[in-house]
Amino acid sequence: MKRVIIIGNSAAGISCAEALRKKDKEIKITILSKEDYTGYNRCLISYYLAGDIKEDKLVYKPKKFYSENDIELLLNKKAGRIEPKKNQVVLEDKTRLDYDYLVLACGASPKLPEIKGIHKKGVFGFRTISDAKGMLELLPITQAACVLGGGLIGLKAAYGLKKRKIEVKVIVKSPQILSQILDKESAGMCKRRLVENGIEIVSGSEAQEIIGEGDCKAVKLDSGKVIASSIVVVGKGVKPNIELAEDSGIKFEEGILVDEYMRTNIPNIYAAGDIAQSYDPILEKTAVNALWPNAIEQGLIAAGSILGEPNKKYPGSVGMNSVEFFGLPVISFGITRPQDGFEEIVFKDAQQDIYRKIVLKNNVVKGAVFVKRIENIGILLKLARLKVDVSGIKDKLPRPDFNFAFTKDLQYDKEEVYI
Amino acid sequence: MKKLYYDAKKCTACKTCEIVCAIGHSPSKDLYTAILEDNAALPSVRVYAGQDENYPMACRHCKDHPCVSACIASALRYDPKEGLLFDKEKCVGCWMCIMVCPYGAVRPDFRDSKSVRCDLCADIKDPRCAKNCPTKAIIYVEEKAINV
Repeated sequence: MKRVIIIGNSAAGISCAEALRKKDKEIKITILSKEDYTGYNRCLISYYLAGDIKEDKLVYKPKKFYSENDIELLLNKKAGRIEPKKNQVVLEDKTRLDYDYLVLACGASPKLPEIKGIHKKGVFGFRTISDAKGMLELLPITQAACVLGGGLIGLKAAYGLKKRKIEVKVIVKSPQILSQILDKESAGMCKRRLVENGIEIVSGSEAQEIIGEGDCKAVKLDSGKVIASSIVVVGKGVKPNIELAEDSGIKFEEGILVDEYMRTNIPNIYAAGDIAQSYDPILEKTAVNALWPNAIEQGLIAAGSILGEPNKKYPGSVGMNSVEFFGLPVISFGITRPQDGFEEIVFKDAQQDIYRKIVLKNNVVKGAVFVKRIENIGILLKLARLKVDVSGIKDKLPRPDFNFAFTKDLQYDKEEVYI
Repeated sequence: MKKLYYDAKKCTACKTCEIVCAIGHSPSKDLYTAILEDNAALPSVRVYAGQDENYPMACRHCKDHPCVSACIASALRYDPKEGLLFDKEKCVGCWMCIMVCPYGAVRPDFRDSKSVRCDLCADIKDPRCAKNCPTKAIIYVEEKAINV
């Protein structure tokens, strides 16, 4: 009987396991997790921190999912190294596990800046249930918190803490927040909304030291300013957990390199999810697009490849995000801050906080940002993925009333519901 | 499974489908009381005007369903016999489904932070839009029965 070992028990690992079991009742499936929980909705931890949802809503796959699907789940087990020649995973406790197929779905970890005190109690990445619970435990003794970095994860933590009535300051080196996903205009709109709701954004500074005896008490900035803070959230981005690939012969750059079947350079080893560096059809090069939807789809593709379904090719991952701060929804994908050679078409209604920008190159959609009026952005994502020439309708694309009917003449869709 | 099909030439954009959809999904299920309800439903079908044709747009219950992969709250699942199944209680209003729907067939309801999508009138197992379309532009038939 063939055995698949999946390292990682989140979106990619679980979707892979579930898809394998759906098609193959025989294959032996083992999932290794270094965490102590069955599958949970990782992206919901900010909602949990904010108090918007209870812990039970975090459950993605309960225990019975694993037993019903005959998936062996080994919790609190960390893989130490891979020996591809022997087809073995060696756990940190020295146990050796044999595999026929290995799926690396080990995710990513927060990037921690190398500053003094970064490992003090009260300093969190914001990625796991444990992070959220750790913060919640500190709430009774916390008046103020600092978030380092103006990225999505950090700002979601800031939002959650603010909703818990904690004073929050966000320390951002660059003048713009959310610079990875938004342009200046839309980021400014988000910033205003955050500030109006009591979150302070401290721009142009960086944390230099976390102060406190054991527990975090304050953050010292490079400007010399000291900010009292018993919770510090590090939101400086994430890095793929590629340690297992190092010295194993598996090729990696930022993430583990995979082909359109999610295969690594070693034929029976696959990678999926936040760890994988896959082709990005918008950037037209490989990229790590560490996002839940991409992870789920990559897990499905990996399963298809293992089961020998060569027709199921991965169309590639795209960078895309949806976020809402204090009632202001924002969705963006692809390139939002273009260099030369791109065209930008914008609709803006500042009074109503509506902003819709489309980025084009040679009449092909390369990215978009929608603020407040977020409907129909998925149509543009599809046009971008398929590289449809939109020259005939491009002025209409950012209009708030833009909808599917506008794209009819482009004839990229197979029209399966219209007769 | 049975699916909704639309004859874009017959559709006059009268929006009867939108009205019966909203009424049918509102608590009272009655036009005259529904319009006074605070939590009256938004229609999950919209009619969009084209050049010479009109296009009713609702969730197509696609076999390939990017919304299911994108949902971070496990509120969506796909069943080959029943189509897309939405557990509204689980929805947190993250709008990831809106981000990936290639047809713009899902819409946000900002009042309760829940997405709005066609459930094929699961309560009566007979979509109200098709039943009430005055020009019979909306048809509810088995997939295999139709040649598009």
